[in-house]
Amino acid sequence: MAPHRTTSPPSLPALPTPTPPSLPAVDGFVDVSVRLTGFDSFDLHATGMAALYLETALDQVGPEAFERFLGELDAAGGDPDRLEGETSRDIARAIAHLWYLGVWPQLARSVHSALGREKANAPFTASPEAYTEGLVWRTFHGHPAGAKAPGFGTWSEPPPGAPPVPRAAAPERPVEKPETKREGELEEEREGNTA
Amino acid sequence: MNAYPRPGGQPAGGHRAAPPHHTRRFDVIVVGAGLSGTLVAKRLGDQGWRVLVLEAGTGTLDTWPGHLDAMNTYYAAAAKVPNSPYRPNAAAPSPDVLDLAGLPEGGFRAHGYFVQNGALPYGSDYLRANGGTVMHWLGLTPRMHPEDFAVRRKFGYGRDWPLGYADLEGHYRAAERELGVAGDAQEQSEAIGLPFPEGYVYPMHRIPRSYLDDVVAAKLDGVPVRESADSPGTTLRVVTTPHARNSVPDARYDGGRGYRPAGAAGLPNYGERCVGNASCVPICPVQAKYNPLKTQATWDSRVTLVTRAVVSRVLADGTGRAMGVEYQAYDDPAAPVHTTHTAEADIVVLAAHAIENAKLLLVSRLAEHSGQVGRNLMDHPVLLTWGLMKHPVGPFRGPASTSGVESFRTGPARRRRAPFRIEIANWGWSWPAASPGSDVARLLGIPGDSGQPRGRGVFGKELRRRLGDGIGRQFSLQFELEQEAEGRNRVTVDPRHRDRLGNPRPVITYDLSDRLKRGMAAAKAVSDRVFGLLEAEDRTVYGPGPFSPGHFRFEGQDFTFNGAGHGAGTHIMGDSRDTSVVDHWQRCWDHPNLYAVGCGSMPSVGTSNPSLTMAALALRSSEQIHRDLTELHRPVTVRTGGGGGTDAASGHVPGPAPSPHSRPHQEVRP
Repeated sequence: MAPHRTTSPPSLPALPTPTPPSLPAVDGFVDVSVRLTGFDSFDLHATGMAALYLETALDQVGPEAFERFLGELDAAGGDPDRLEGETSRDIARAIAHLWYLGVWPQLARSVHSALGREKANAPFTASPEAYTEGLVWRTFHGHPAGAKAPGFGTWSEPPPGAPPVPRAAAPERPVEKPETKREGELEEEREGNTA
Repeated sequence: MNAYPRPGGQPAGGHRAAPPHHTRRFDVIVVGAGLSGTLVAKRLGDQGWRVLVLEAGTGTLDTWPGHLDAMNTYYAAAAKVPNSPYRPNAAAPSPDVLDLAGLPEGGFRAHGYFVQNGALPYGSDYLRANGGTVMHWLGLTPRMHPEDFAVRRKFGYGRDWPLGYADLEGHYRAAERELGVAGDAQEQSEAIGLPFPEGYVYPMHRIPRSYLDDVVAAKLDGVPVRESADSPGTTLRVVTTPHARNSVPDARYDGGRGYRPAGAAGLPNYGERCVGNASCVPICPVQAKYNPLKTQATWDSRVTLVTRAVVSRVLADGTGRAMGVEYQAYDDPAAPVHTTHTAEADIVVLAAHAIENAKLLLVSRLAEHSGQVGRNLMDHPVLLTWGLMKHPVGPFRGPASTSGVESFRTGPARRRRAPFRIEIANWGWSWPAASPGSDVARLLGIPGDSGQPRGRGVFGKELRRRLGDGIGRQFSLQFELEQEAEGRNRVTVDPRHRDRLGNPRPVITYDLSDRLKRGMAAAKAVSDRVFGLLEAEDRTVYGPGPFSPGHFRFEGQDFTFNGAGHGAGTHIMGDSRDTSVVDHWQRCWDHPNLYAVGCGSMPSVGTSNPSLTMAALALRSSEQIHRDLTELHRPVTVRTGGGGGTDAASGHVPGPAPSPHSRPHQEVRP
């Protein structure tokens, strides 16, 4: 394992890109993301988040480190499991985390230093929609908490892959005449407290 | 009179927006626009009284754009804790569950609004904003059990109420109407032994049980378990929980008149049914869950709401009568500028939350006779247990809990250990382990501390598969234990600790008693047996650490508890002015026209989520406040040396204030 070393001082941060990433760049990012997430490109595009996530990743690690990450992934045959450089591996973790939760995570402290980042190493949600488009909910046939509500009573049904279970019938009767004992208790309560 | 500008959209109610601040007289001042304050204002406004409601927080939530802003804040929040949708407010700060951190070797550190100096942390928050903490409540509305009102008399611990279940039963029904409760009264009666009037049904049919409830019920119903080797068996039964959440209206309600669900505040014809957003805490996107803004939308025009008005002091005259309040108005929650005003009224009602009520009484040096103000602070300490079922159970669907096991709430075991209610949690490990975020991070090899070495991580289809399999089988149980009134658990104020407006921050001293810890040990033993019956893989772990501020050891065992957000008991009611702060009307013994309403009045909290009981008490107090006001406004014919007579028909000119000696505090029980 040969971690990437910067022999020269970190270059000045690139100026913010004035335009959003180009369509081919987004397509390439989605191809990489398919390998990171296990979701196909249709699903990833359909979140509407791909361009924002590419921008976020570029902004967080810088174009150079991002290009190195792409290059190393390519050299590993596109298999993120074979990424050996710790910086690239941590970028892979972060991008997968972003897709699954909509949250850019903290990088490893060592990677944060190695990249010479001039921003706080703090997690943040890329946008409110990024949370609701998180992939994690789909892994178990769920929906994001607080959005995409499935409808009244849907929580009663078995989720995919679950066996049906006997359901206790809802009696839903009006309250019957209380038992004598209960009536007596009520009386005792009343007397005990008015004495 | 200029309408007070409200950001975005229209005011929800028929009530008046705040006028410019100048001293005016009202019949009643209500401090706090949360659940209790909103209900008191509703009742008194409907009866023709002029009510001024002063809310310390902002009113941004009572418009639909404000609600949507809260939704986005919630979506973007890093930690989806109860206060996460609601904007921080430096002028009226709120405590937050993120203010606590555990230490590596045990113990905790607190920062934020509360100053904490107790052996254990008080782990509950509240919200200072229009609508109050009920904006982020879960919405469960079980009644207290009759025996919960007399724990001293029946079981030898804590404090007794000066009221019983029978005194409150009608008000429970009134609260169930006001909040819009969905439930199965017959099931509550049979399974828990709650007395209801014959033929009673809740306004709406019960919220459907979750699939998880059915899975658990299939294994547990009718099975006896022992909490220790020498204890008798307790029969388990899964019981549907009543909710203040819109369900299918019951046509039989109210003698066949039925019930119309109350929808969202600020958006007509919306939110009249729960649609399963699964985010009741911290915010219901469609407002199918009750919140006080719905009641405020029906306030009479005689009710005036002033938000961004922090009451700093209750003003009283030399005879002990409350004259009004002093409050601080601010425009921008982020700017440290305020102006001070006073408002006067015949009756002042503190409804600002148990801890804020106590703070105000302490700062004002009122209700001091018993020495109990601030004492007997209670919560429902929560023990969480969690594990994996053998097959998917559909976590993160529906309301956070739709059923529970109620078998350990009552009975003679209360003599030695705290009773508890078991909530079956529908949202996986979200509370105990911050799932599903933590599951993603763990599988990717990302530890909580960025300085720790990282795992290699799993990617691609394997990541997707393992997440789906693991999260899909998550479930947890929440054991809510009764905490008894103890004088040592208390809120005080200390002039050295102030917020930005110069108001004292609450100083909290908190601990759990041994009987409570024995309750936790029993709860854990029950959990172990339940997990066995469910053939579930138990993943419960308790130990010190940053996310376990509530860690402690008891009899050789580790535990971690959490707060339930059920702060209570800081101005408890009783039947003697020597030992309690308020009487059974929630009226201060020392001040005949000063009420302190809310969970702070409760001498015991049982194991029921307390909001319904709090609402019932507020409605009951409203009746007495109305009688007090009627009495004060009665035409005075002859009064030697007194003020001039006033004409009740002309309405709202206050009569001369009677001295407390001329009208002794008569107790008339219903």
